[in-house]
Amino acid sequence: MKQPSAAEALAAALSAEYAAIYAYGRIGVRLTGAARDTARQAEAAHRRRRDALVVQLSTSGGTVPPDRAGYALPFPVTDRASALRLAVEVEERTAAHWRAALASTTGADRDQALAALVEYAVRATRWRKTAGLTPPTVAFPGRPT
Amino acid sequence: MVLTCPVGIGRTTQRDESSGQSRRKLLRAGALLALGGAVAPLTGCDLFDRDDEPAPPPDPLRPMVDEALGLAEAHRASATAHPDLADRLGPIVEAHTAHATELARVIGVALPSAPAAAPTSTPAADPAGALAALRALEKAGQRTATAACAAAPAERAALLGSIAAARATHQEALK
Repeated sequence: MKQPSAAEALAAALSAEYAAIYAYGRIGVRLTGAARDTARQAEAAHRRRRDALVVQLSTSGGTVPPDRAGYALPFPVTDRASALRLAVEVEERTAAHWRAALASTTGADRDQALAALVEYAVRATRWRKTAGLTPPTVAFPGRPT
Repeated sequence: MVLTCPVGIGRTTQRDESSGQSRRKLLRAGALLALGGAVAPLTGCDLFDRDDEPAPPPDPLRPMVDEALGLAEAHRASATAHPDLADRLGPIVEAHTAHATELARVIGVALPSAPAAAPTSTPAADPAGALAALRALEKAGQRTATAACAAAPAERAALLGSIAAARATHQEALK
């Protein structure tokens, strides 16, 4: 398989961030209290990464993929349990895109990709704990299963 | 093709040694050897023969195999000392073992059956202290993997990134 360029890998990560922000819109309304606050913070983190990527890709002459009006969710979000499960899924999937970007990047770009992978993996673990899922960790965060 | 050069020289030397050669013949053999030595760099024979060639450096990931096994062992020891923690620590032991296995596969060595060094400290007597000590170990391990990921060639970066992330999630799971 051909190694994607750094710009391609970052564009893929940006598309994943769009989808994550969309998903958190659906997740947040099914949660209350502390979990809802956590969802709001998580969504803000994905928005920050989206904004940074848009700036980075446009200033470096890369292609900025467009956001879409909606994204297909892997399963319907109907209650707290499914909202928490989707939150885990969203963090794992975005982590996977940043993990994939590690091989295509070096230096500061790779540091940035690793920081995102670590942050999202930790957040996935927190969501699993909130949902009471055990174990709350996976052996290789972000690795396609 | 490359092997013809040392084999030729070897034969000359052997014949001289076995049949009690005159001094002149030995000198001539010496001259031949010297010539061989001078020619060798051009033929490529010295790829195999030169003894001033530095040994290949050990793989930079080799210490991480031992580190991962050491982390697995530390969690195992805490689980033994505090059976109440066993359910939480078991998956983390498995993750570290999986990391060691994958690292060993990538660098092409057999997985050592035990960590290189025994754990330096015994688990704390209280569960909270044991968890805090494990968190500190995971944090140090995350730093190792982060540095290794930054320095790694492309084909290893994703694995090392996952290991760094796993160690970060372990700190969260140990809270």
